[in-house]
Parts: sequence; C-alpha cells; structure tokens
Amino acid sequence: MGRLLEHHAKQLLKGEGIAVPLCQVAASEAEAFEIAQKMGKPVVVKALVPVGKRGKAGAIRFGQNPEEAAMITRELLGASVRNFPVEKVLIEEKLDIQQELYLSITYDKNKKAPVIIASMKGGVDVEELSRSYPEEILVREVDPLAELPDYVTKEIWAELGAKGKLLVAAAGVLAKLYRAFQRYDAYLIEINPLAITSDGKVVAAAAVMSIDDSAMYRQPGLMDMVQLGSERAWRPLTELEKRMVEVNEADPYRGTARYTEMPEGDIGFMCGGGGGSLLCFDTLTALGGQPANYSEVGGNPTEEKVFGLTKGILAKAGVKSLFVCHNITNNTQVDVLARGIIRALQELQVDPASFPVVVREAGVNDAAAREIFTAAGVEYYGDEVTMTEACTRMMARMQKIA
Amino acid sequence: MAILINRQSQIVIQGITGREASMVTKHTLAYGTQIVAGVTPGKGGQEVHGIPVYDTLKAACAHHQLDTSVIYVPPAFAADAVAEAVANGIKIILIPTENVPQKDAVRCLAQARRAGVQVIGPNSVGIINPTDRVKLGAIGGDNVERCFVPGPVGVISRSGGMTAEVSWMVKRAGYGVSTSVSIGGDALIGSTIKDLLPLFEADPQTRAVVIFSEPGTSQEEEAADLIKQGRFTKPLVAYIAGRFTEAMPEGTVFGHAAAIISGNYGRPSLKAAYLKEAGAYVLENFADLIPTLQQVLDPQHVVAGLAR
Repeated sequence: MGRLLEHHAKQLLKGEGIAVPLCQVAASEAEAFEIAQKMGKPVVVKALVPVGKRGKAGAIRFGQNPEEAAMITRELLGASVRNFPVEKVLIEEKLDIQQELYLSITYDKNKKAPVIIASMKGGVDVEELSRSYPEEILVREVDPLAELPDYVTKEIWAELGAKGKLLVAAAGVLAKLYRAFQRYDAYLIEINPLAITSDGKVVAAAAVMSIDDSAMYRQPGLMDMVQLGSERAWRPLTELEKRMVEVNEADPYRGTARYTEMPEGDIGFMCGGGGGSLLCFDTLTALGGQPANYSEVGGNPTEEKVFGLTKGILAKAGVKSLFVCHNITNNTQVDVLARGIIRALQELQVDPASFPVVVREAGVNDAAAREIFTAAGVEYYGDEVTMTEACTRMMARMQKIA
Repeated sequence: MAILINRQSQIVIQGITGREASMVTKHTLAYGTQIVAGVTPGKGGQEVHGIPVYDTLKAACAHHQLDTSVIYVPPAFAADAVAEAVANGIKIILIPTENVPQKDAVRCLAQARRAGVQVIGPNSVGIINPTDRVKLGAIGGDNVERCFVPGPVGVISRSGGMTAEVSWMVKRAGYGVSTSVSIGGDALIGSTIKDLLPLFEADPQTRAVVIFSEPGTSQEEEAADLIKQGRFTKPLVAYIAGRFTEAMPEGTVFGHAAAIISGNYGRPSLKAAYLKEAGAYVLENFADLIPTLQQVLDPQHVVAGLAR
C-alpha cells in the first residue's frame, strides 16, 4: 500500500466534492508566516510525514497568529516524527469545531468486502475508541458487486443518532467518500475528525489515505503522490535500501529482490521466497544468530539482479558472512542465482575460505548450481539437508570465526 | 481420494497461450494430468502442446464438459477471467496471478462465492494430488516427485514456495501427501485454512494436516475455532513463520502482503497460543515437523524406536 501525504489526500477529497479546510504547504518559516498572514486567522501546523498518530507525536500544533505559525514551523522542520524527517508542513485554517465525527472505509479481509466504519465520537484514535466505546462504532459491510445506495449512507448515520441537517450532510460526505474510495483504488481512507463547524458545515479536518500498490497501473494521476511500499517501512529508506530498490526496479518483471537493513547483525542474509525467508530468519535468530539484513529473493530473478543484491548485502558494515537459502524451487533457476552470487564474491574479492558463505539451494538446475558453488569454494548443499540444517551449518561457521 | 482435484477433473486453462501458461501446460501434461482445453481470445483454433484453444470459455464449454479452471492471465484481466469462469459453470478455480488489485479481488471472489464456486488464490502456486497425478498450476515444476509423493498428509501453505518444502519434509519423514494446496500469500484470498480443513476432514486418505503460516490475517485463529467446535478432528500440525517480525516496529511488512502486523492482530505468537489451546501441534522449530508427523501417524513405531 502506498500512503498519500495529507495535502494530496485532501486535494482528492475536495475534487470529489467533500469540504476540506483551506490549506497550503510550507517548506520554510517565511512561507509559513506568509500563508498564515494571508489566511488571517488562527492556523493548524501539521508535519507532512507519511505516518499516523501525528497528534500524539506533537506533530500537529496550533498557531494563534503568523508569528506563532512561523515559530512552530521552525521547530517542526528539521525534527523527526516517528523516524521520518519533516521537510514540509501543512498550514491549515483552524476550524471552529462544534462536534467531531469519525468516518473511514477500508477492506475487511475476513468478510472479503469493503467496510464503512463510522462513529459520532471522532477526534480520538479509532483503536482507543473501539476499546473504550465499542458500542459507539458502527461497522457496515458493503456489497462489492453493487454501488453504495444513498439510503444506506443515511441509515448508517441515523443508527448512530445523527439528526436533521447533520444527518443529511454526513450521509452526503459518506456517499462521496465511497466514490473516492472506488475511483482511486484506495485501500484505506480515514477522516478523523469529520468536523461539524459552528456554521453547520461538515468538513474533513484530517485525512489519511493509502492506495493499493497493485492498482497503480490504472492510477497514473496518483503516480507522483504515492510513495510505493511506503507503508512497509517504519522509517525512511536508507541509502543502501534505495540502491537495492534500483537494483530490483532495473528489471521489474523478472523476479523480486527485496532488501531491508537491520539495525545491527553480522550475517548477510539472502533467502526466499516469502515464507522461506521468514523461516530462515526465525531459525538463525533462535540459534543465536543475528542477520544484518532481511532479504527476500525469488520469482526466478536475473543474474544481474542477484549480482546487484549480493553486492548490496555485503556492502553493509559489519557483515562477516553470507547465508543463501531457499525452499526447493518450483521455477527459480538456482544456477542463475549461483552465477550472480559468485560473480559478486569475485568482484568484491571475498574468499569463502575466510568469509563463510553457506548455501542451500535445491530445485531447478541444481546440478549446475552445485558445480558453480563448489568450484568457487562455497559450502554448498542441495536437498541433502533441510533448511533448518543449513541454518545450523551457518551458525557453526560463525562460531569458528568468532 | 484427495481434495479439490482428481482423475475426474475436467481442466481448462484460461490464457493458455502465454509463456508461463504454455510451460506449465507442458509440465502438467508430462506429469500425467489431463488438460481438456485452453482459452485465449483471438487465438481460437490453435493448439498448445496438443490442447485445443478456444476464443472464449463459452466456446470451449460448447465442445467439452469443463469444471476446473486455471487462470493464467495478467493482474488487470484476472477478475474478468474469474467472472467468465463463474458464468460458464466452472466449479473450481485456481488463480496463480500475483498483484490482483484489491477492488478486483473482492468483486470476483464475491461472484464466485454467490455461485458456490471454490476459488484458490490469487497468488497461488497450485494444487496437487499425487495419488491421481493431477496438478493445477506450476506446483512441482518439471520434477514433481522430488517433493510430492502420495500419502496420508494434507498440506495447506500460505507460502507458495514452502508448499513444496513442507511436502518434501513430509516425504523425508517417510510419508507423502493426499493433497498439497498453496492458498496464496495475499490478504484477500478465495479459500482460507478454515475453508479447506473440512474437506480434509471428509477425505478418508488424509490422516493429518500440516499448515505453514505467516504473520497477519486471522486464518489460524479461525482454524483453531473450527477444531474447538469439533468440525476438524484429525491431527493438525502447524508452523508459523515470522516470529522475528514481532520485535520490529509496527507497520513493517516482511514476505507477503498478508504479513501485516497491526497491534495484536496477526501476531505469530498469539496464533501459536490459540492453535495450541485448541489442541493443534504447534512446531517451535520447523525441523520438528519430521518427528512430530512420525509421532502423530505412527506412535507405536516411535515408541519402539522403529520410526521410518
């Protein structure tokens, strides 16, 4: 899933006809001052970072005047919110809020359908709300094969106790929000709070939106807004991770090579596929090992991709060994893996005699792989050992060099 | 016996003329599985490894009795191919396609559900019944017997690759599989663990089931509930990979898209505790699969030190 920054989300919602506060992006103190002055009223300054729970992190603050807006902007810019450096802030008009509602749409994986989640108690985070007031939350499944009928949008708010103009206005917002959810292949849209202002308007005061990565091919308009895979990271990508994304994207249709840097560790980790790499990481950890990275490679990658990934894995400081292990492959040609890995070892002048390289690769073309690895002096296993046994061999080699 | 597929399955491949589909067709035929027909719009009248190709599934159904389809089409067209299969009376659908948009997935899964059609996938490497030598999808590649031999164990895996490795471990333990099913690594899939366990319960060949799980979703919790309700009574052996992810900050995804941990929901340790409480054998170490299966299937031999 790719998260949108808040100003992009609000731009899309506004395009759908949902009211949003006046807002503008500022990249400096001076810009913040100018925007706040033009608005001519108290403002909200929000750090533009792709993470949730910004309020609790002190990344959403109020400025009574342009001077305060500038001061808050100075403090936020250069700070980090949940590991993400703040490069820009959003300056918004401060609304005169009388009541706060909650509204979101996402997919329920068990029901296999879109679900609408709504509450008359907005403003607090929804996990907290569901813990403290589960009876105040309404969850309504939507038939994936039909449109959302207008009457259902009214039923939802009526059941929650909304009345009069508020009922009609909130139902209108829900209808538009569902259209936006469908139109943009969203995975999640959350408005919290959906604010009722003193002049009776219903305004999306804060918005979170993420888009289904798999649908990006039909959402060209969102290409510049969405950072693909941004919800996967708990911090911005490191330099090495960015290089590995390039290695992977250089040939996007032939296999995957994912790389996540671990804070510490000394075992270069190159395993696969999805389940197999989880199994290897758990097993090494249980045996007292510490992988320096998590890498998942599979889907029959090219030699070039394997070569680039191997070099990346070995580039991290403190890496003392390389562990390569897959489940028995259905279609990944393991001789191609072998050529990519050995080429990287040779280019980096890594000697498998002093730098342990333990490989367990069985599957398509494994006879050729055995020859390549063995000729290069690598400790190679095919399907004569289990994945667990290969992990044990790796740890035995680590103990020898400790 | 096995589940889902057997000698009677009348198999069609939608998108048969594609590169991967054509290779899988070749391997599948070489294994001994009969494929009745293929469909690729605009290529009607051609043949792929001797299999007749039709422009539409409707045309294929006019010439053949078809009940099982493998959908080898790109993500953008997968949902429509599923709709075509459902509309033409197909009863079992395998979707190997990865990266099907969520909006399309919920739509075509709902269509199938309403028509009583069993969908495996998206993002499944396949299903195999080695007793009848029937397989759907790439599972087993061109060297099927390396991992898949007939026997009394059912395998359900959320990881495609580990479907082979688990089945190979079953063989190493001295047994074989009744049916191995790769259910797909996505969050939204047609058949979850709890949907397949009752089929294995009803299958006389299956004496125990092994599941390979990952973080995310509530499939294992639902499977545990099924056991508690007495709807699955055979031994269930479970390995849940990805425990290390629990030590990572929230929102990190390792492995498949389904491996999303949010709060307590989807945590491997809780899944393990839940399954254990229901009476499943939960493996601490994947290697324990071999002795656990021997103990479950042949307790007297294990006691006598005669485990195979």
